[in-house]
Amino acid sequence: MSLLSYIMVNIISTLLRFLPLSSKTGLIRLGNPGRHSPVLLTANYVLTVSRVKRALTGMNAFLLVANSKGINVWCAATGGHLTAHEVISALKTTGIEQLVDHRKVILPQLAATGIEAAMVKEKSGWQVVWGPVYARDIPAFLRAGCQKTRDMRQVEFPWKQRLEMVVAWAFPISIIPGVVMVSFWPKAAAMLVSLVWSLYLLIFICFPVYSHWLSSKGKRVGFIFFDFGHGGLQLVLWGIAMVGLVIYSILTGDHSWAFLLRWAFISLVLVLVVSLDLMGSTPVYKSGLHEDRWLGIFLDEAKCRGVGFCEQVCPRNCYEMDLDRHKVILLGPGQCVQCGACIVQCPFDALYFRSPKGDIVSPETTRKFKLNLMGKRLVRVKDIDNS
Amino acid sequence: MRILESAPSRYDRGIRILTLGKLDKVYDRLVLRITSGQQVLDLGSGTGALALRAAQRGATGKGIEINPQMLAIARRRASELSLGQNVDFSEMGVAELDREKAESYNAVMSGLCFSELTEDELTYTLRQVERILKPGGLLLVADEVMPENIATRVFNWLIRLPLVVITYVITQTISHAVRDLPQKVKATGLSIEELRLNRMGNFLELVAVKPERRTR
Repeated sequence: MSLLSYIMVNIISTLLRFLPLSSKTGLIRLGNPGRHSPVLLTANYVLTVSRVKRALTGMNAFLLVANSKGINVWCAATGGHLTAHEVISALKTTGIEQLVDHRKVILPQLAATGIEAAMVKEKSGWQVVWGPVYARDIPAFLRAGCQKTRDMRQVEFPWKQRLEMVVAWAFPISIIPGVVMVSFWPKAAAMLVSLVWSLYLLIFICFPVYSHWLSSKGKRVGFIFFDFGHGGLQLVLWGIAMVGLVIYSILTGDHSWAFLLRWAFISLVLVLVVSLDLMGSTPVYKSGLHEDRWLGIFLDEAKCRGVGFCEQVCPRNCYEMDLDRHKVILLGPGQCVQCGACIVQCPFDALYFRSPKGDIVSPETTRKFKLNLMGKRLVRVKDIDNS
Repeated sequence: MRILESAPSRYDRGIRILTLGKLDKVYDRLVLRITSGQQVLDLGSGTGALALRAAQRGATGKGIEINPQMLAIARRRASELSLGQNVDFSEMGVAELDREKAESYNAVMSGLCFSELTEDELTYTLRQVERILKPGGLLLVADEVMPENIATRVFNWLIRLPLVVITYVITQTISHAVRDLPQKVKATGLSIEELRLNRMGNFLELVAVKPERRTR
């Protein structure tokens, strides 16, 4: 792929980050792969595929593009669009089985929330190897004989990604009020659009400054600015601001309805903008829209046999292996982003989520019930065993 | 067991919006081909729309589906209709059809499943369907297809866009209309018995038959 089209893909999919953009599924040959070349699998999001291909430039490998409905690896896996079934399908219907002598497929680590490796093995005979989080680490990972360093497993939120999120939010958000404003208050349009962009820039660039207040222990700052789902405090604040605005307009004698309505509209838009799901757009916090983020990870040591799949798939390095006792140690549950990957992969059901009230979410539930838009794992609808 | 609220619980509602309520009639018409005592397979059985209709006509068989939440809904509906013994809903993708016995089904049904498959999967599935159907067995399909005429295709895209957005928000399902489905069915060796396109040319009902073995 030429550099120009790579840049175009990056620009377009950054501007439209929240829309699924499908790439062609199937088998891609990188370089001149042979019967012992590695087989890698990824999601069919346009940006993902082009970045993986770029990272593997100069290498000989087979790349399977599985059908994740045009969604990136982490979101597709966690939302139930990239599961063991999509992987099995790619392995069995693309003809890869006739091309290589081995049965080892390297999957992106962040797909571990949705792809049950045990099911892939059982139904297709292929062994899953969890690759690094970022495509750029794949060459080093392969050179090391498929061994990951701690850094290759860790998800971070560096400034480059934060800038991408600024664009991803500010672009679509500024289009809508921008168009509305141009038609009925053109003078304010440019002002509003730049306000939206600078708000997002401020929020994401300053992320390291306030991020430790967003941790599971201190949710208060997050509650105000990042959590539209709960409380609606922003709307209360907005209401207070509106009362202030009315008082101001009466005091200054400029109480025209047009003035009030315009400012009410603009400030409401800004309040909504700031309070949309920003926590969910960082890779280091759970979305504020999902109750799952209140869940805590729990390790049942008696069941643990120290196979260490949890350590391999945890994007926050919460686990460490105790080689003497042959058990895993849950180091920092405070770092946990409740992605559930460790629960999904544990063959002994030694890990599970617990709600603040003490309810246990069974590992089976975490495996089968995905967190798609408007979905909730904690809602009790009906006890079907009794019906 | 707890049944949990997620997108699949809204699937039926969402799909009715997308197909503007016409889907039920299409399914009713397709299952008229099923007779009592037949062995049927429903690909991508979802919440059980086709498999349960076939079971109500006296058929037995299997519904395969990869989404566990959909399966939970389908199983609950089956037991509500006292058809739990007649249809076995199992978590299985089309890539596992090679595990089914050859020539073991009188009919294979597929409602809105082909449009969710990749090209490779569709080719693979049709080949497997041809293998597992008994001679004289039927393939029954209801699905979204790409209109052949370019002007209709553009018009269709414009009309569908808002529906697709609504359906995506409700069900998180995006379907990709299938291209050249009748040709692909023919290429696998089945012969098309009935083909019905709607006025827009974007929804197809198809009945294909596996030819009887020719003997001398």
